[in-house]
Amino acid sequence: MIVGSQKPFDEIWEMIQSFKKILVLGCNTCVAVCHAGGSKEAEILSEMIKVKAKQMSHSIDVNSMSVMRQCENEYLDEFMDNIKSTDLVLSMACGVGVNFLSDKINAVPVYPALNTSFYGGVPKEGLFIELCAGCGNCILHLTGGICPIARCSKSLMNGPCGGTDKGKCEVSKDIDCAWFLIVERMKLLGALEKLYDVQPPRDWSTSFHGGPRKISLEHIKAYEEQQGGQIR
Amino acid sequence: MVIQEQTYRPYGYEIKEKRPFSPCRSACPVNTDVQAYIALISTGRYNEAFEVIRSVNPIASACSYICHHPCEQACRRCSIDEPLAIRHLKRFALEKASGYRRSKRRILKNTQGKNIAIIGSGPSGLTVANDLADLGYGVTIYEKHLALGGMLASAIPPYRLPREALQEDIDDILSKGVKAILNCQVGKDISLNEIIQKNDAVVIAVGLSQSRSLNIPNIDSDGVLLAIPFLTSVVFNRGVKIGKNVLVIGGGNVAIDVARTARRLGSNVEMVCLESAEEMPAWKWEIEEAMEEGIKIRNRWGPNAVIKEDEKVKELEVIKVLSVFDKQGKFNPSFDKNVKDIIQADTIIITIGQMSDNSFAKDSPLKIEGGRFSWDPNTQMTNHPSVFITGEVVTGPGSAIAAVASGHKTAHAVHLFLQGQLKPGLLPNFEKEKIEQIPEEIKGKIKPQSRLKILHLEPAIRCQTFDHFERGYDEESALKEAGRCRGCGGGAIVDSSRCMACLTCKRVCPYGAPIVKAYSEIRPEFCQACGLCVSECPAQAISMVSYDVREIRDNMPVTIGILNPDRKIPVIAGFFCTHHVGVKGFQVPDNIRVIPLSCVSRLDVLDILKAFQCGADKVAILKCPEDSCKYESVNTRFSLRLSRAKKLLQMLSIQPEKIVVLSELEVGELGDNHFFK
Amino acid sequence: MKSGSNLERVILSGNPAVTAELGPPMSADGSEIRHKAKLLKGFCDAANITDCQTAVVRISSIAGAVIALQEGLEPVMQMTCRDRNRIAIQADLLGAHALGLRNCLCIAGDHQKFSAAGKLKGHPGAKNVYDVDTCQLVGILKKMRDEGLQQGGDKLEVPPRFFIGASWTPGGEPLDFRPVNLKKKIDAGADFIQTQGIYDIDIFRSQMEKIRAMGLHERAAILGGIIVPRTAMMLKYMDSSVAGVSVPKSLIERMAKAKERAGDDKKKAKEYQEEEGIKIAVELIHQVLETPGVKGVHIQAIEWESAIEKIVKSAGLYPRPVFE
Repeated sequence: MIVGSQKPFDEIWEMIQSFKKILVLGCNTCVAVCHAGGSKEAEILSEMIKVKAKQMSHSIDVNSMSVMRQCENEYLDEFMDNIKSTDLVLSMACGVGVNFLSDKINAVPVYPALNTSFYGGVPKEGLFIELCAGCGNCILHLTGGICPIARCSKSLMNGPCGGTDKGKCEVSKDIDCAWFLIVERMKLLGALEKLYDVQPPRDWSTSFHGGPRKISLEHIKAYEEQQGGQIR
Repeated sequence: MVIQEQTYRPYGYEIKEKRPFSPCRSACPVNTDVQAYIALISTGRYNEAFEVIRSVNPIASACSYICHHPCEQACRRCSIDEPLAIRHLKRFALEKASGYRRSKRRILKNTQGKNIAIIGSGPSGLTVANDLADLGYGVTIYEKHLALGGMLASAIPPYRLPREALQEDIDDILSKGVKAILNCQVGKDISLNEIIQKNDAVVIAVGLSQSRSLNIPNIDSDGVLLAIPFLTSVVFNRGVKIGKNVLVIGGGNVAIDVARTARRLGSNVEMVCLESAEEMPAWKWEIEEAMEEGIKIRNRWGPNAVIKEDEKVKELEVIKVLSVFDKQGKFNPSFDKNVKDIIQADTIIITIGQMSDNSFAKDSPLKIEGGRFSWDPNTQMTNHPSVFITGEVVTGPGSAIAAVASGHKTAHAVHLFLQGQLKPGLLPNFEKEKIEQIPEEIKGKIKPQSRLKILHLEPAIRCQTFDHFERGYDEESALKEAGRCRGCGGGAIVDSSRCMACLTCKRVCPYGAPIVKAYSEIRPEFCQACGLCVSECPAQAISMVSYDVREIRDNMPVTIGILNPDRKIPVIAGFFCTHHVGVKGFQVPDNIRVIPLSCVSRLDVLDILKAFQCGADKVAILKCPEDSCKYESVNTRFSLRLSRAKKLLQMLSIQPEKIVVLSELEVGELGDNHFFK
Repeated sequence: MKSGSNLERVILSGNPAVTAELGPPMSADGSEIRHKAKLLKGFCDAANITDCQTAVVRISSIAGAVIALQEGLEPVMQMTCRDRNRIAIQADLLGAHALGLRNCLCIAGDHQKFSAAGKLKGHPGAKNVYDVDTCQLVGILKKMRDEGLQQGGDKLEVPPRFFIGASWTPGGEPLDFRPVNLKKKIDAGADFIQTQGIYDIDIFRSQMEKIRAMGLHERAAILGGIIVPRTAMMLKYMDSSVAGVSVPKSLIERMAKAKERAGDDKKKAKEYQEEEGIKIAVELIHQVLETPGVKGVHIQAIEWESAIEKIVKSAGLYPRPVFE
């Protein structure tokens, strides 16, 4: 899922303080799971803004609400009147939601309350770790299910660099060396020899380096092309 | 009972209706929402507690003294330590709310333009009167005695039920405009036919007013009395005379009443009953109380003959009981006639059961078969279309509260009949599915807390008076006892349309209640209603069945009030765990706005923020010391929330020192603590 | 010959090769490179011109290498994967070759995080590239040289002819994967290997045994890395904090004793420790060169280029072979 964290409150205040009517809009899927942007956090942020406004003797009308996902039309549609009737939407969605909503409403500014960080897993309560870079060309079958693109600080594809120390990355003792893990995992899987071949330079066009990406389901795309319009 | 718009409904009523009931509620013949009123008591909301109680029980005060409290027997705490003292808490709440209760009495108009007569004013008759008056009917009660209440008024000895309590219930009903014709014996003073003619509907609620007698030699001797006439004479002070040595035949609750009444008249009392001590139908606690008062009980003896001298009772010959019940479990005693004993007595009181007195219906259209009125349990109707029947006269002997249940059904039936809508299957059903017992795996996580003792007058003293023998809880005790409730059925509930199955609740719950698949479901038998999960849920998908989790925040502007900008003394929002606040009876300095919480497990970061937002200068949180909190994990979660709240406040340049956390020991210093000045 | 570089010639001749290291300055003035080149010239067969080591911005490796070349010192240019994508890498390689460079060491490069250290602010917020990794970079050089093709497949009119180097950390974790790591670099096309600094000769020798068993020592010239110790503190730091390097206690104690010998005299302490450090370096050079399969040494006297002369001479590696 997508992991993000809230921007520092001062930064948020700076960006919103000139608006009179603000809707803090939570997103109840990914960023709720990481306790950054769900309904709860939206209400907390809205209360924070109210306190701050009072302290600064600003009159700001702040409300909070949340939708299941800000990145899909159907979830947003029923709240659009609400959303449009405000001066500013302070979105607590990931960047996807902020973009999606901005594109959808156009005329009302949508500001981000979060910094969107990565695709992560939740190994335990309150901990979120990056495990995938969304590079569009998965090689996890070759690396014991551990992604060297996302989890090696240098995205090396042919083994560890010289910086590995006691299984940790040279960047920080808090980061596991992905290649150390890969080698150990492959040994365990009895598949170490899969690492012996030199991986050639890869095609990054499937990642962001190919420009913004789009995926359409083939059968729907084909049908629409044939019909000359959107399916309904 | 007929649901009406004005009928008080506790928070979460609709949700609760759709879910398994708490065992206490399910066990109650009228499904009193025990969990709801206990929760209200625990936060000092006594008037609302009264409303919950009264909404289903028109003889609430009487029940708060004499109910056999099946709720307590069903209490899930039984598997941990002892049941909650529900009946006694009910009494406490009703006493606390008595002013409010009286202020709410209003006369109700006969908006339906129809009149109903009720014959008999016991629990079922009163209930029918209450419900039909609520529905806008004109109601008249015919009562043969000088006081309303049936057995409650005419037979239950006052040491068990103070008449002032009963009067509160009766006043509620009479205040609605119900007419009562006292000292009027139907069949003698007025004929049933006349009543049927004059009214749109008639309800027979005559109960079981006649004591059964025994068919043994010399039963007609002087000094042999029947239970009900004996009790009635005592209650109405008709100067009954009994001897020095009284023998009570019977082992039921009425037998105990008779024995304890006789004891209070100064006699030595002995009871003889067919059953063994374990088999006796009387409630265990009644038997114990009787024995404390010096009453002897001879078990497993059956009366064989009264031995008289000069027409006066001298002795009772008894024979040994072999068994009371047959193989099918039916009452069918067998005796060994060769094993005999003689018990000396100058008065014998026969208390072996009651039956109805049907003589009032002679020459009426009502059909009586085998001594019983013919009736249809689906409609509560007799063979005569406008005549209904309710209570023990048809259900047989039972509890007062069971008679109330019967009364609700009958009132509903009468209403439907008068609206032309009576059909079988429409009457209320009080049989409800209940939450299972506390699962074994979490029993260890529920701290034993012993039940607060209900104090009784010393047996030696109480034997000499008909004064009520039980002392009510003071506020401190009541709040402590209410705090023992595990909130069964009032716990967390997930709005599946908001839940994205993030597992937070599962991680937070110390009792393993949530099962998370496509969305979280919180198993009510596991949930202890601590509320920890509610404030942790990032999607705000969890609420509590029994209380409004937003109420504190919504009420905050009112709680804090309008503040003087030049104030010298800080205004403090005090989130006080009621497990301790009760101790102090909410008495705190004026500048503290007390917000009672049933455990800080329910305190949300947002509540704290809201207090500051509404202008509070500081926040004080009173919580139990770490080891004495009622719930698991609260301290961990509480400190996490506290540190989050402090961080948020810091971002707003509010010093974290503006929040203080106190535990029980420091409560006494509230007034002196510099924080509050 | 693949490149015709001096280093390649020395290796082909069978003499033990000696490479050294030259760190360019954080300055737009190349005179320091010229000065250091003079110190090294004649005492090594080629010197690595580092490519923004520890991710600190300095005169680029190619420019530094050209300056060294002008001073008559054969350079080994370095190319990290950190700062350039495959387009910039290949363009720079073509240019480097055009400027006369013939040796190139391919490395991943220290993470940019390390640029902020001590008094340096560095650029820890820089975006790193890692379009290709070391093995892939080696492969690109080989493809350009041997097939005359760019990585993308386009033809090169004149291919660059580089003697291709790669690094190896014999003592790094996971120990048993390190030989595989080396093999992949050699498979990809590495001609010579410079190893991470060796202090624990036992670990190095046991890794070399595996290398020989795999026949890798015959496919590429392995030059054992020697990092000249200067202080006891430095050795301790290398042991505890440099990945893939472990320093035996005995060596640390030797340096510590040298320091103690000077008492409170700081100047002497420095002098004694440097003497001892050079002694240790010479011993290590001998031990490394005695290890079968090793074709030379890569001596790093970090910011101490003046020591190279004495070390090379003491190790009996002077004079260096000269080819016409």
